[in-house]
Amino acid sequence: MTAAVSPRAVSAPRRAASASRRGGILPTIVLLIGAVYCLIPVAWVFVATSKAPSELFSTFTFAPGTGLFGNLADLFAYGNGQFVLWALNSLLYSGVGALLSTLVSAMAGYALAKYEFPGRKLVFYGILAGVLIPGITLAVPQYLLLSQLGLAGNPLSVLIPVIISPFGIYLSRVYAASAVPQETIEAARIDGSSEWRIFRSIALPLLVPGMVTVFLLQFIGIWNNFLLPYIMLSDQSTYPLTVGLFTLLSRGSGSPALYSLAITGAAVSIVPLVALVLFLQRYWKLDLISGGLKG
Amino acid sequence: MRSRSTAVVGLVSLTALLLSGCSSTGSGDGGPVTLEFWSWAPNTQELVDIWNEENPDIQVEYTDAGGGDDSAAKLLTANRAGNAPDLAAVEYTTLPSLIVSDVPLDITEYVEDVQDAYTEGTWAQTTFDGAVFGLPQDVGPMAMVYRSDRFEELGVEVPTTWEEFREAAAAVRAADPNTYIASLPPGELGFFAGVAAQAGSEWWAIEDGTWSVGIDDDESLEVADFFQSLADDDLISTEPLLTPEYNKKLNEGTILSWPSALWAPGVIESVAPETAGGWSMAPLPQWNEGDPAVAYQGGSAVIVTKASEHPEEAAEFAKWLNASDEGSELVLTKQNAYPAAIAGQELAAESDPPTLMPQQTDFYEIAADIASQTKPVIWGPNVNVAKSTFEDQLNKAVESGTPWRDAFTATADAVRDDMRETGYEVAGD
Amino acid sequence: MTASVQARPRARRTLRPRFAPYLFSAPAVVLYVAFMLVPVGYAIWLSLRAYRLVGGGILGTRQDVFVGLENYVSVLTDPELLASLGRLAVYGLIAVPLTLGLALLFALMLDVPAVRAKRFARTAIFVPYAVPGVVAALLWGFMYLPSTSPFSYLTEAAGWGTIPFLENPTLFGSLANIAIWGGVGFNMIIIYTSLRGIPTELYESARLDGASEVQIALRVKVPLVMPAVVLTLVFSLIGTLQVYGEPATLQPMTRDISQTWAPLMTIYRDAFVTDDLPAAAASSTVLALGTVLISVLVLAIANRRRMEDAK
Repeated sequence: MTAAVSPRAVSAPRRAASASRRGGILPTIVLLIGAVYCLIPVAWVFVATSKAPSELFSTFTFAPGTGLFGNLADLFAYGNGQFVLWALNSLLYSGVGALLSTLVSAMAGYALAKYEFPGRKLVFYGILAGVLIPGITLAVPQYLLLSQLGLAGNPLSVLIPVIISPFGIYLSRVYAASAVPQETIEAARIDGSSEWRIFRSIALPLLVPGMVTVFLLQFIGIWNNFLLPYIMLSDQSTYPLTVGLFTLLSRGSGSPALYSLAITGAAVSIVPLVALVLFLQRYWKLDLISGGLKG
Repeated sequence: MRSRSTAVVGLVSLTALLLSGCSSTGSGDGGPVTLEFWSWAPNTQELVDIWNEENPDIQVEYTDAGGGDDSAAKLLTANRAGNAPDLAAVEYTTLPSLIVSDVPLDITEYVEDVQDAYTEGTWAQTTFDGAVFGLPQDVGPMAMVYRSDRFEELGVEVPTTWEEFREAAAAVRAADPNTYIASLPPGELGFFAGVAAQAGSEWWAIEDGTWSVGIDDDESLEVADFFQSLADDDLISTEPLLTPEYNKKLNEGTILSWPSALWAPGVIESVAPETAGGWSMAPLPQWNEGDPAVAYQGGSAVIVTKASEHPEEAAEFAKWLNASDEGSELVLTKQNAYPAAIAGQELAAESDPPTLMPQQTDFYEIAADIASQTKPVIWGPNVNVAKSTFEDQLNKAVESGTPWRDAFTATADAVRDDMRETGYEVAGD
Repeated sequence: MTASVQARPRARRTLRPRFAPYLFSAPAVVLYVAFMLVPVGYAIWLSLRAYRLVGGGILGTRQDVFVGLENYVSVLTDPELLASLGRLAVYGLIAVPLTLGLALLFALMLDVPAVRAKRFARTAIFVPYAVPGVVAALLWGFMYLPSTSPFSYLTEAAGWGTIPFLENPTLFGSLANIAIWGGVGFNMIIIYTSLRGIPTELYESARLDGASEVQIALRVKVPLVMPAVVLTLVFSLIGTLQVYGEPATLQPMTRDISQTWAPLMTIYRDAFVTDDLPAAAASSTVLALGTVLISVLVLAIANRRRMEDAK
């Protein structure tokens, strides 16, 4: 019974064997068209990176240029290697923020999906209502609030507000509802496991694929977040990439906009995100967790 | 259990903090002080390093806070939370609104001694009702940069009056139908305010505590009619500036001039470096032949904030940066800006021309002439309201073919309404 | 079943089911209250105030005073608000169905066992989500503006002239395209995650009954991911009402996007350009209430249809 309700993992080999290759051509074509549509504009970022400042606005939009290495050298030399620091900051904010956010979301999602308790609906719909509030509206009050706590300007002021993610909690709840079999929980309870132990050893491993999605979305969300860090931080050495690149682009009138540097920086900053997506994809395969059902 | 009780404690203390509204406490007196400084001008860090080396007791920490508009927003927010830096660069256009929001400190007592470092007109940019709220750093006397090579190729004369500008624009269109003499889009409030001031209009003025708004006075409306007629006859473009489209046209040589200010060469060079050598600078065309007075467009000052615990030291740094010989030289050479201080401008007169126009050896001589003829522009407390209304209204007018002067009138009304709502005395129409 | 277990609690259990859900959701709730509810409360308080002049001097200084519902009156009587909602409706009618339709299509295609290049396609479609907004501005400037657009280059070479991407009415399509481009990957992942959470056995039996992959997709998978699709629909509608990035990105490049084109652009302008936080707070409150209304409406319709389907 347990196996029957488990996610597809258990039957994956069976399915792969039975599936014929015939039905795959049309879907593949559809996906490839989608991929091309999404990639063409992104490709421009990389083409533009190869253009020297003098070529950026003078050659054909998709014609590669000759300035790739010059741009990269300029980028890493800018402000005594500030770009590397910004990249590390982004990595820190996104990595730690997304990790904490994923854990908080997974716990809350699991609780909302697997327990009946007074106030459940209130908590769920209350948190879900959070997506109704535009981030722009929240930024200033959040700043004033964190200032009261003496945290404005501190990297924590960028880290803490992003931990709460209504979307992540919603996703975790949906995933937990279908991925963690109620029978397994009951069986563990009868065995005398504590609720925390059930969550940690049984539910958590089953939730991994869903958590990977939450982590990925949060990571990218924080990586690309501009307004919150821009308002919160006032020390250049704590800037994430978005704010750093913005300062490059937004020189006041009279000072050269550092277009090539900013575009090169953007291209370089997309690379780790793509690497992350590729890396995390393996965790979307559910074979890994079939062992978790024994707990 | 533990996590719940900590959570509750956390929540309670959070609420308590919110209610108590604690304020930050400063460091003790004596010993070296550290000042926070926000700016966006290029290479400011180098300037700050030089100061820090010479002044171990007053150390300055520099932050690049993004360009003028954005850093003003950030400054306002920080000020509201009591986190404003000690010093900040601000544009002249936003200074009045910051004063109204209680950001800058009246530093008259600290900086009176350097008044002589500036011309009267420059000093007036940061003085309100006798109180000095900042030290001018760089100024933008209006001028026209143009493609001298293309002008010659097409046989077009450099215009000295706006009437000649119209003729030149027509000549350009006739000689090369793909080319415009310039693009003067609705987003450029600074340009239109500048040429209106050149024509004698005062967009904001105050007398006996009552403000008057001149955005729809006769001079301004004539300016509106003039540029509308250029646009209606397809003699100028009204496409936005510095978009990829515009930059490409600069590179192609199909936009031949930029009537703006002395800082323009640096901007053009950053998007069209290959065109260097083809450009020259000339005084802005005049409304009345023989009247060389022009207004300022752009430029910035450094303010000391009310939040600063060391206003005297902060003013000290601001004076060194902007009013001293050493500082204004650095503003010229490191930041590539036209210094506000006389010393810096005199120094500029001996400098090499900008790299965009190496052949124009008299660039800074002409610049000094122009600078000596500039008249101050008084900005009101809600330039931001004017700017956003003006851009939207004028865009609409251009798009729908309605008179440009209506956009000027609508802007004036919006500015007056906003000032009245805030509580100012505003003169009737 | 749950009840029977709870009826016989064991003594050595440290965490009882009764408390467990509260403890598990406590971090989320605390953070939610601190960083969303409290700021929202603050914003609402702010919306009842205004900055008014006090003191002398030429400029005086502004301080905030209580003005009651004054801000709400001016928000609700502003004709621009209605006009901007009208523009959003047109934009949303293009962007939302296409984003969701494509996302669902791609997610289903990814779930076809025989499909090739799955990893590549999934990553490629997701990548636009990773492009920072600052860069997207430049990027779409290059794609749309006549003299840099590769598309206009092609149409011009073919003798059809340039494509007026940034002029009404094409503008709506151009804006929607940016939203679709940036959002399809995100929504695809949401639906795909939901698909992966479904037990395979449900398809196996259908497959054994001789159903084709298309039939399985339409009759088994789509109904099962419907809750996820409905939720992404709600999120997309909210996203439409809160649209900011796409028009703000293109605003400096075209005359046809005013600074009050979308409600959130007005809010941004009030909060960060004209320093009128109270007005921004009031508009935000109105917008949020409107969003709640629409969300509840959509969810109610979806629920009713599900009930009817169940019958």
